[in-house]
Amino acid sequence: MPAPAVDAFGLLGLAPRFDVDAAQLERAFFERSKELHPDRFATRPVAERVAALSKSRALNDAYQLLKREVTRAEYLLAHEGLTIGDNERIDPALVMELLEEREVLAEARAKGDLPRIEQLCESMRARRRAALDQVKTLFGAAEALTDEPRKAQLADIKRQLILLRYVERYLEECDAALDEE
Amino acid sequence: MLLQISEPGASPVKEGCKPRVVGIDLGTTNSLVAHVEDSSPIVLGGEGGPLVPSVVHYAKDGSIIVGRPAQAHALASPRDTLASVKRLIGRGAKDLAGIRGMLPYELVGDDRAVRVRVVGSREVSPVEVSAEVLKELKARAEAALGGPIEGAVITVPAYFDDAQRQATRDAGRLAGLEVMRLLAEPTAAALAYGLDRGSVGTYAVFDLGGGTFDVSILKLVDGVFEVKATGGDSALGGDDLDRAIATAVLQEAGVAVTSGDASRPIIAAAVGEARRVKEALSDSDAAIFRVAGAVTGGVAIERTIKRAELAAWAQPLLDRCGKACRRVLKDAELTRDQLDGVILVGGSTRSPVVREFVATLFDKQPLSDLDPEQVVALGAAVQADVLAGGQQNVTLLDVIPLSLGIEMMGGIAEKLIHRNTTIPTGATQTFTTYADNQTGFDIHVLQGERETADACRSLARFTLRGIPPMIAGMARLEVTFLIDADGLLQVMAKELTTGKESSIEVKPSYGLSDEEVERMLMESFEFAEEDLARRNLAVERIEAERILQATRQAFVTDAAILVPEVRAAGEAAMTRLEAAMTGDDHLAIRHAIEALDLATKPFAQIRMNRAVGAQLHGVSLEDAAKKVGA
Repeated sequence: MPAPAVDAFGLLGLAPRFDVDAAQLERAFFERSKELHPDRFATRPVAERVAALSKSRALNDAYQLLKREVTRAEYLLAHEGLTIGDNERIDPALVMELLEEREVLAEARAKGDLPRIEQLCESMRARRRAALDQVKTLFGAAEALTDEPRKAQLADIKRQLILLRYVERYLEECDAALDEE
Repeated sequence: MLLQISEPGASPVKEGCKPRVVGIDLGTTNSLVAHVEDSSPIVLGGEGGPLVPSVVHYAKDGSIIVGRPAQAHALASPRDTLASVKRLIGRGAKDLAGIRGMLPYELVGDDRAVRVRVVGSREVSPVEVSAEVLKELKARAEAALGGPIEGAVITVPAYFDDAQRQATRDAGRLAGLEVMRLLAEPTAAALAYGLDRGSVGTYAVFDLGGGTFDVSILKLVDGVFEVKATGGDSALGGDDLDRAIATAVLQEAGVAVTSGDASRPIIAAAVGEARRVKEALSDSDAAIFRVAGAVTGGVAIERTIKRAELAAWAQPLLDRCGKACRRVLKDAELTRDQLDGVILVGGSTRSPVVREFVATLFDKQPLSDLDPEQVVALGAAVQADVLAGGQQNVTLLDVIPLSLGIEMMGGIAEKLIHRNTTIPTGATQTFTTYADNQTGFDIHVLQGERETADACRSLARFTLRGIPPMIAGMARLEVTFLIDADGLLQVMAKELTTGKESSIEVKPSYGLSDEEVERMLMESFEFAEEDLARRNLAVERIEAERILQATRQAFVTDAAILVPEVRAAGEAAMTRLEAAMTGDDHLAIRHAIEALDLATKPFAQIRMNRAVGAQLHGVSLEDAAKKVGA
């Protein structure tokens, strides 16, 4: 997902950090929505209506981006000049392991073994949770760092995020498998 | 240059005094209109109560009858009496393959849009039929409010896709309404509840209507109504239960039911009786299903139906609802225990069978203190008032129900915007060429959750041309999707590396073209001042003029072949037609025209034979036909 042209955190009146309180984020979003939603401008002149529509769109997109931890983390890293491409490499052993796990899921799916699918997905969700906790810890620690140590820390976060991409893809397959029920 | 298809957000409401605006629930079975008065919404009544059956009858004389009077024709002429047309709107033949055989109508049209053939040869689109229902509601509202309606919010099932929404909007325009907003039905219901009850918290709205099922999860807090997730099935409703009951009872009675014979009187009668029995079972544990032998052609059916049997027949349909509910909870990342309540919407939720199902599914007693058949219109009226500058303490945050994307190489659907994204929204993605020297991009816009393009709904196709030849992977095509507050989509595309400007026009690949809508609008304006009888009268008088003139001319030019008896009969018929034209009964004129046709038939026959003869001698049939004034 591309970053909105305007700073997402700024739009919601929040400091740009990973550790965001979900309730606070939602409150900020609701408050800004009340001011910016196009419905508020339905009887205003065209120029104001068009401006409200585009501001509201930017606000919604910013909220969508920050609400999910993975996209929030990617967005923060992008601001540090670290983007995640389509062909990022991680530890080959880990890649093999993840691919094998996907095969296991595919087998369960082929057999229509729902309990097994549930079980596999649950363990992958736990893994996702652990990776995100790790990201949070790393971001927290990075705040106190500068220069090379900070760069190293951010590179660690990037590795976690690449891993999370694999995990998310796996979970998408889980959703598709469970939808078939 | 980026392609700008239309400027969104334009609203018709004038500044200054408070405009006359309404909310309309355009339902599968019934429709109604509501209005905000003194900051609370009320439904506008009319003859026979506020509900207008969404039924349109096309009579042989060309007149159009809407609502309860139209229902009276359903049994005698099922093919010309259109009900549940909401199931057809914005749909193509392929979409309707599943239910086609169960509808008594003659459907024509392609995979983009179907039409219904009525009174023999007339083809009407579902958009036109819906517009007739909307016109009736508009007329009611104007009568009740004492002046023209300046704007309307029309509700649609949350799960309607872009094509169905566009078609509904077209129907509004065709009815002469300024459509201020299309609003999701469950969202409208939540709005009415939130304001009426001051509810705060997270609610599920279970909306089972005649032909559509929606389930939405909303968070209501401090004047904000946020839709967290929505789901459903836009082809599932009470109609399906009626058919299930009818089919079961008929089969049991030894009447074979195959798809495609829904127009048979016995099927129509059984479905109607099934609906009555279903409704009766809301208040009692058993009801008698009765179809007279006169209707069935011999077999009289009489049988007691118990509520438990109804429950068994409903189960497969309710299971589909249950699946959609589980999915929407998952999308909202909630469990049922985290919900503060469940709101019932739609006529089908009156049934205790449905209520018990919902109570078990969500593990809580559902709310229905606002009339499930009125609550959607009430909410729409509130939103209309908000948009007209009335109440300012309400902000609605709605979502798109289905993901939007484009087709990639190999027929893969790539999603640009995922379902349940808050609107208005937008997304941009860059694509590249796959072949050397490719000078055009085919862009195929899709909607749906499936992974392949052919399993998704095709919304539009266009080609971006004029890209200079480059090796594969060099060109950079930036595709931008923008969704406005109605959930309607605009697509823009530009090629980045060359900076070469290209403009494209996206035409929706469904429903009516803009020209068609414009033409029909012009027609409706033309006749807006006249009532239907006057319109028919005008049409018949013009037709009568034409025929009189043609006949008189033919009597002169072909006097040689005119037999005296035919001349006498023809002249008498012309005199009667002239007399009829001075009156204002369009049917009398029609009959006199037909009588004249009949009287001069032998003469016309000879002339036609001559014309065909002339054709063989080198005169074109077209010329010959023109000469005989055919």
